[in-house]
Amino acid sequence: MEAWLCALAELAGVGPARLRALLSIGAPDEVWRRLEVGPLPRVDGVAAALVSQWRRQVSTVDVGRVWARYEERGTGVMAHGAAGYPEVLVDDPDPPAVLFLHGEPHAFRLPRVGIVGTRRCTNYGADVAFELGRGLAAAGVCVVSGLAVGIDAAAHAGAIDADLAPPVAVVGSGLDVVYPRQNRHLWHSVASRGAVVSEAPLGVAPEPWRFPARNRIIAGLSDIVVVVESKSSGGSMHTVNEAIERGVPVMAVPGPIRSPASAGTNRLLSEGCAPVCDVDDLLVMLGLDERAIARTDARPEPSPTGRRVLDAFCWQPVGLDTLVGRTGLPIPDIALTIERLLADRWIVRNGPWLERAAAG
Amino acid sequence: MLACIPASTLLGVTGHPVAVEVHVSNGLPAFTVVGLPDTSCREARDRVRAAVLSSGLDWPLRRITVNLAPSGVRKEGAALDLAIAIGVLVANGDVSASTVEGLGLLGELGLDGSIRPIAGALPLVDALLTPTVVVPRGNVEEARLLGRHQVRSVSRLSELVAVLSGTQAWDEPPDCTPPAPRVDVPDLVDVRGQAVARLALELAAGGGHHLLLIGPPGAGKTMLARRLPGLLPDLDADAALDVTRIHSAAGIGLPAGGLVRQPPFRAPHHGASPVAMVGGGSSVLRPGEISASHRGVLFLDEMGEFSPVALDSLRQPLEEGVVRVSRAVGSITFPADFLLVAATNPCPCGELGTPGACRCSEGARLRYVRRLSGPLLDRFDLRIQVQRPSAHEMFCAPPGQSTSEVRARVQRAREAAAERGVAANADLDAAALDRLAPLTPAALDLAEVAISDGRLSARGLHRVRTVSLTLADIAQESPGVEHLAQALNLRVDPLVVDHRVAVTHG
Repeated sequence: MEAWLCALAELAGVGPARLRALLSIGAPDEVWRRLEVGPLPRVDGVAAALVSQWRRQVSTVDVGRVWARYEERGTGVMAHGAAGYPEVLVDDPDPPAVLFLHGEPHAFRLPRVGIVGTRRCTNYGADVAFELGRGLAAAGVCVVSGLAVGIDAAAHAGAIDADLAPPVAVVGSGLDVVYPRQNRHLWHSVASRGAVVSEAPLGVAPEPWRFPARNRIIAGLSDIVVVVESKSSGGSMHTVNEAIERGVPVMAVPGPIRSPASAGTNRLLSEGCAPVCDVDDLLVMLGLDERAIARTDARPEPSPTGRRVLDAFCWQPVGLDTLVGRTGLPIPDIALTIERLLADRWIVRNGPWLERAAAG
Repeated sequence: MLACIPASTLLGVTGHPVAVEVHVSNGLPAFTVVGLPDTSCREARDRVRAAVLSSGLDWPLRRITVNLAPSGVRKEGAALDLAIAIGVLVANGDVSASTVEGLGLLGELGLDGSIRPIAGALPLVDALLTPTVVVPRGNVEEARLLGRHQVRSVSRLSELVAVLSGTQAWDEPPDCTPPAPRVDVPDLVDVRGQAVARLALELAAGGGHHLLLIGPPGAGKTMLARRLPGLLPDLDADAALDVTRIHSAAGIGLPAGGLVRQPPFRAPHHGASPVAMVGGGSSVLRPGEISASHRGVLFLDEMGEFSPVALDSLRQPLEEGVVRVSRAVGSITFPADFLLVAATNPCPCGELGTPGACRCSEGARLRYVRRLSGPLLDRFDLRIQVQRPSAHEMFCAPPGQSTSEVRARVQRAREAAAERGVAANADLDAAALDRLAPLTPAALDLAEVAISDGRLSARGLHRVRTVSLTLADIAQESPGVEHLAQALNLRVDPLVVDHRVAVTHG
C-alpha cells in the first residue's frame, strides 16, 4: 500500500492538495490501477490534461523500484490516519496526506513545543532559542522546529545538548535532500535522536513554496508555538497565523524594541500574546510546571568597570567604538575589561560584534 | 667604420648597460638593428633616419648595421634612439669619435629631430658607467639624483651634433629645483570621533601593521585610509631612491625635484587584474601596483570586490617584501615592501551588518566574506570595525589630534623598532619577540583564555604580540596585559557566525 502511495506522491505536479484529491478516489493501489488502465478517472480540482499526463508517466514507473528506494534509506511512510501518523494531525484542517519520516515516531506522543524564528537572528535570539530548546528537552518536552539556520538550528542544538526528550524537525525538502547544507550534522543528530519528517517524497528539492507548507505542519504538530525572534513579516509570522487558525497557543520572546529582529515578536506581545521569559513560562503553559528546573548564574560577578561596560551594551550588538563612546573610558581599560568579560562568558564575540550572553 | 656608444635598457626596475655598436660599410643601402630589440626598439630605425634628415644632416646611403650588445638581453623602449643616431653619425664620420668618448646617451627622438623625455631615466642613468651622461631636458633632475655623473642635456639632435663638433657649448645646467614642499595630504584633525580607528591608523603607521577596515558605506573607511600616508615618516635617502627608481621605470609622474620623498599611496580600482597588481606583462615585465606602493601604502577599497586571484597573489609579497615575476622572457624580482590597508563592507547590503538587521541572505553574506581568504585575512594584524559616527560626534566632538602630533609618536615607534634591528615591529620574529618583550604573567593568562576559546591561533598570537609591542612603544611603556588586550580587540573577525550550531557540530 505504502509503495503505491510513494509512487503517487512522486508523480510530476503532485503536491499535498492534489495527492489528497487523488486519494479521495480510493486506496493508493486502486488509484494507481485506474491511472494505468481503463477510463481516465476524474480527479477533483485537477485538469484532465494533467491526469492524462500522469497516465503517460504511470506507464513508465516501476512501483517496486520506487519502494526499494524508500526501504533502502529506511524512510518511514505514514499515510493519513495510519499507524504512527501523528494523532493531532488527523483532524487538522489541512492535513498532509502522507508523512515521510527518518527516525522514531514516538516523539509525537510527548508534549510538543514548536520553536520558530528568523533565520537572521541576533546572538540574543540564538541564545534564547538554545536555552529554551535545552530546557524543554530536559523537562521531557519534544522540541519541534524546521531545521533552518538561525533560531531553528539553535533550538534543535539546545534540544540535542540536553539529550533527553527526542526532538522533531519538519523540513520542506525530500528527506534525502539535506537543506541547508551547513546544518547537515544537526539534521543527522535530530534524525538519530528523534525524527525528521517531511510531506515531500524523496529527492524533492527545497522549492520556496514548500516552506510555508511545512510551517503549517509545525503549527499543527505543536501544543504551543514560541516565536523567539522574528521580523515584522516572514516565515515565522506565517507559522503564527497557521497556529492561530488551529487554535494552538502562540507565545513570544520579548526583545529590544530597537532590534529589527524582534519587531515581529514585540508586535505579537503588544497584540496580547503571552510572553516567554524562560522555560518555566512554557512548562506552566503546558501544565508541566512541577518539572521547572532551578538554574543559577554561575558566572563570577563582574568588576565595577565590567558592570559599566556591560550596561553600555543595552543588550544590543555593539562594536568597540560604541563602547568607547558610551562609557567614555580609555581604550586600554575597555579592551582589558572586554577580555575579562569574554573569559567569564558575560559577553561573546560574533564577527566584529560583541554581544551580551545569557546565563547558562 | 665602426662606432660604439654606451647606453642602457630597462629590465623590470633596474637598468642594464647596453653598448650600441654601429657599423657602416659599402653595399646596398640598408639599415638593420640586431641584438634582441623589441618592437618599439626596432622602430628606432625609422625615427632615427627621419630625425637625422630633419636635423639637416646627411643619411649615409650605405649598409648600416646596429648591434645592441649584449645580444642576449631583450631591449625595450625608445631610449636607445639617441645613441643609435649618434652612433650612425660617428660611424659615418660626421661626428668625430673622440668627442663622444666618455659620453653615455639616452633619449627618444622625434621625427623632427627633437629629443623627448624617457621613462625610467633614473635606473637607466644608474646603469651607465661613463663619467658624463646626456639625457633629454625633461629627465635632468632625475638623472642628477644619483650624483655620480656629470649630467648634460639637450633638446634637439642638431644641438647635440653642434656641441660635439665644437661649434656650440653645452647648455649651462639649470639650477636644481628645490625639493617640492610636502604635498598636502589630508589631515587627521578632520576626523571626528572614531577613537578606535585613529588608534589603528597610528599603530599601522608606527608598527608597519597591515590594516583592514570593516564597516558600512559612509562610515569613513576611505577617508581614514587616505590619512595614513601623512602619518608615515618621510623616506630616507636610500628608500627614496629605490621608490623613485620604481616610479621612474613604471612611468609614474615624479614630483618636482625628481625624488619621491613621501611614502607613495596607491589605490587601484577593484577591477585590477592580478598582473596589474603584482607586475608582469608578456614581453616587457613592468612593476605592478604593489611595487608602485613600495615603502608606502597600498589601499584596496572594497576589497571584497577584487578578484580572489588578484587578492591571493598578494600573499607571497606580503610575506617576503618582494615579488618574483616569472614569464617566458625571463624572471624578475620587484621590490614590494608595502603597508596594506583594505576596506570592506561587512556584507553585500553593507547597510548595517548588525546581527539581526542585515538584509542579506546567509548564503550571500558567507560568499562575500569567503572572498577574503583566511590566509590573507591572517596577514592583517589590525582588523577593526568602523561605524558611522553619530551626529553628536560629527558636529560636537572636539577635533582630535593632528597628523603632525601623531606622526611624532609614530616616529618614536619606528625609532624603537630600528633599535631592535627591524624597520617596524611587524617584522619581528617570534624568537626576537620572546627576547625583547616576554609576556607578563597576566598577559599570559589572557592569551591562554583567548586561545582556549578558539578566538586566537598560535600565529595570531604572534601578530597580536607585535601589535601590543607597538602600542607600548607609542605609549612609551613596557608591554603589559593592557596592551595585549587592546591588540586582541583590534583584531576582530569579519565573519558573523552562529557559534552554537558550529559548536554542536564539533
